[in-house]
Amino acid sequence: MKKTINLQVNGDSYELSVSPNQTLLDVLREELSLTGTKKGCDAGSCGACTVIMDGVPILSCMTLAIRCHNKKITTIEGLAPEGKLHPLQEAAIEHNAVQCGYCTPGWLLSAKVLLENKPKPTAQEVKESIAGNLCRCTGYKKIEQAILAAAEKISP
Amino acid sequence: MKLPKFDLVEPGSIKECCKLLSKQRGRAKVIAGGTDLLTALKNRLKSPATLVDIAGISALNRIRFTKKGGLKVGAMVTLRHLAAHAAVRENYPLLAQAALAVGDAQLQAMGTVGGNLCQDTCCLYYSRQPMWRQSLDPCYKLGGGVCHAVKGSKNCWATYCGDLAPALLVLQASLNISGPKGDRVIPVNGLFSGDGKKPQKLTAGQLVTEIQVPPPPPRSGGVYLKMRVRKTIDYPLLGVAAALTLSPKGKTFKNISVALTGVEKGPVFIGGQEVLAQSGSTSEIIEKMSENAYKNAHPINNTYGYSPKYRREMVKVYVKSAAQQSIEMAESRGGKG
Repeated sequence: MKKTINLQVNGDSYELSVSPNQTLLDVLREELSLTGTKKGCDAGSCGACTVIMDGVPILSCMTLAIRCHNKKITTIEGLAPEGKLHPLQEAAIEHNAVQCGYCTPGWLLSAKVLLENKPKPTAQEVKESIAGNLCRCTGYKKIEQAILAAAEKISP
Repeated sequence: MKLPKFDLVEPGSIKECCKLLSKQRGRAKVIAGGTDLLTALKNRLKSPATLVDIAGISALNRIRFTKKGGLKVGAMVTLRHLAAHAAVRENYPLLAQAALAVGDAQLQAMGTVGGNLCQDTCCLYYSRQPMWRQSLDPCYKLGGGVCHAVKGSKNCWATYCGDLAPALLVLQASLNISGPKGDRVIPVNGLFSGDGKKPQKLTAGQLVTEIQVPPPPPRSGGVYLKMRVRKTIDYPLLGVAAALTLSPKGKTFKNISVALTGVEKGPVFIGGQEVLAQSGSTSEIIEKMSENAYKNAHPINNTYGYSPKYRREMVKVYVKSAAQQSIEMAESRGGKG
């Protein structure tokens, strides 16, 4: 049975009619056309579908949309709302931390939560924060450098 | 993979939830964090007609701690919340350690304490996509009559891999189980059936609602160590929790216990009473505890990663290491408990 929910995505409010078996990932991609959030394994392992919900990083492929009523969600589109890149995105470009790009939205959001909670993380903390985001191009070192550089930029 | 069709109901209280569950007689499943259940649904391993969403029951989201009463954690408290709670970090570092050993940051933010305890057993031949499973006869866990992991076995050998259970066992925690006939409090061990097919003893209508941990004794320490190939992805190939209490003076043990996960159909608890009664130096006691743990561990070839033989050998190494680290923690924490 469908139910109407209210979703707060990137500051915008959406009223949506969703089925119990729709994942948040599918709703974001298919109903809201926010295809920046990627579908990787769709089984809770790869972290490509990471979004921020009420301040914490979650896997949207393992979240039922119907349970997200009135939740605040940030997707990768919300990181640069006016087209101005977030310092994390700038650092990702500067440090060549993007290869195929599939894991990028996920780790950027994981890193955003990290920097919000720990403005000056250690390299180890950075590694732990993105441990759930698999990069099959294995560009982890560049990603780590980019996050540390962004931290420095945001709070020198 | 798309999820199968189901209904979702949101009871407003524990009582209402138990009523709904018993009315559905096994056709309903409780959804907590959903990380374990939704994978099983996507893989068509379970097909409940209804999911009972308990996220809206506020009583299940609380953490309370008093020096005399100990810790009380609602079943819907997330692992992230548990590990970040000041009273937990201060008084039960072992519990925080076990919570942070589960998956990655995302899974910790979603997974709950109750869900982790009630997670299903895993097996290379079961926890797979339907297409992969097609090539094999259905195993015991799928309702068939064969075990692919242990050839010729008459029962299911799927392995219990929860990380919190061993920690709670050595902390002598209890669980509040709510059901249609009211509440009852059982020791953590009472939850587990030792049956790979249905690892928890809960009957239709029952659910874990609260975890109760007694106050930590003075000069006590505990550590959880987890062996796996890929941190954040793998279930434990071996998980060892140790907890011990030192005597007020000197270095003898007042109490010691060890619990294992990832090596049996349920978590394995090894109490230290018998070993302590025989007396001996602390290193002799730890040695005997590690041997007892070794005898009770039966890892089998139903997971990725290291061989069962290696995992079993490592039981001794991990128990000794966990006990040694627990001693150091007990000494450094002194009378703080």
